[in-house]
Amino acid sequence: MPGEFHNGMQCTEFDAVLSDAMDAVLSGAKWESFQAHARSCQLCGPLWAEAQEGRHWLKSLEEVEPPVNLVNNILIATTGLDTIRLRGQASEPSKPSLTDRMRDLLGTFVSPVWALARQPRFVMSFGMAFFSLSVALSVAGVKLNDLAHIDLRPGAIRRTYYETSGRVHHFYENIRWVYEIESRVREFKRATTPAEPAPEEENNKQRKNDNTSGQPDQKQERNYSQGENQPVLAATPDDPPVVMGTTHRRFA
Amino acid sequence: MEDTQVVASLVRRCISGDAIAWEEIVQRYNRRIYNICYRFAGSADDAQDLTQEVFIKVYRTLSSYDSDKAAFMTWVTTVTRNLLVDHFRKTKQDRLTDSLDNAASEHEDAQPLSEQIPDQTAAPDASVQSRETRETVHRALQKLSPELREAVILRDLQDMDYREIALALKVPEGTVKSRINRGRAELARLLQRTYKQVI
Repeated sequence: MPGEFHNGMQCTEFDAVLSDAMDAVLSGAKWESFQAHARSCQLCGPLWAEAQEGRHWLKSLEEVEPPVNLVNNILIATTGLDTIRLRGQASEPSKPSLTDRMRDLLGTFVSPVWALARQPRFVMSFGMAFFSLSVALSVAGVKLNDLAHIDLRPGAIRRTYYETSGRVHHFYENIRWVYEIESRVREFKRATTPAEPAPEEENNKQRKNDNTSGQPDQKQERNYSQGENQPVLAATPDDPPVVMGTTHRRFA
Repeated sequence: MEDTQVVASLVRRCISGDAIAWEEIVQRYNRRIYNICYRFAGSADDAQDLTQEVFIKVYRTLSSYDSDKAAFMTWVTTVTRNLLVDHFRKTKQDRLTDSLDNAASEHEDAQPLSEQIPDQTAAPDASVQSRETRETVHRALQKLSPELREAVILRDLQDMDYREIALALKVPEGTVKSRINRGRAELARLLQRTYKQVI
């Protein structure tokens, strides 16, 4: 009870020197009367014990670490800019190199695709595509090790192009020459083939009925032969027509 | 506590526009201000915001600082305390009672605080137990009234002397001592009640 007198000290005085007692600056007779009052007073005794206990709990609290970016945030909020020293501290470890920037740039494109590709539904599709491709390459006789030996220098690519185009040109010329030879041989055979014997009267009638073109049989067969696959290089009729030209008007 | 001349020089340089001097001040006091804000507000996020507000206000009003009246740390603490009181009024934490079984704070689960006190006999690790005990004390500190809380924080956590606290809180030294002792006792009672419920 405030104002109550115990062992030479009132409760108000006890309350006033309580802090000194807590700080251990109380000594001598005052300290003894303080202790005596604490033992005898039902109010001040528990207060003394509780104050000691409370300070013990508070002292158990440790100092907490502020966030790492706190100082930087404060400086930006106050001066608006980092100071030189902060820039120096922060720039060296955080300055990205060209490789890092390229990696970041690639990461912005690759990461979404990679995240999409990692989905289970796409993994099976990619697996099947890879399997199909590898089977196709094996069947075609392509070995991946051979691809490593391809010369991709510009000069080598240019040389490969000219070699390939020359090979194609020679192949075309050879094919043309072969066709010309075949054509000549076929004409020679026709020219050297003897005439067939005269058919019978009935056969002739039958042939006449079958012939709807109005041309002689031999000539008709030749036309069919020409129409199949051989170009007409030159043709000379048996009895060339006589060209009757009049030029008198020119000389008149 | 602090090298008065060095701090006064830093303040003068800062007022004249030296950014390096301002950075030095921030580096020197940010940890202390952050801890005051954290112990008073109870939340790391709030503490970070409040610390920034404190330094913004200090930066804007630095020219009003008078080194003859008080030490720079005391002046900064006064600014901090005023902002904390404003923050307290805005968040209306004064409506909370002293009971630890009341509604939980943002760091707590839905169950009452007394149910979150770890069973000391079952704690597998002493460090974990110690950390949980500190968390309990920190939460109990938030239950104190703001007058008692700020007094015990400045005295027992920041080791300020009574005169500096009296200047910062703008109350007589006797009142400071009384608040500190009442705050300590109240905290002990809160924690005793908590542990008695567990036991």
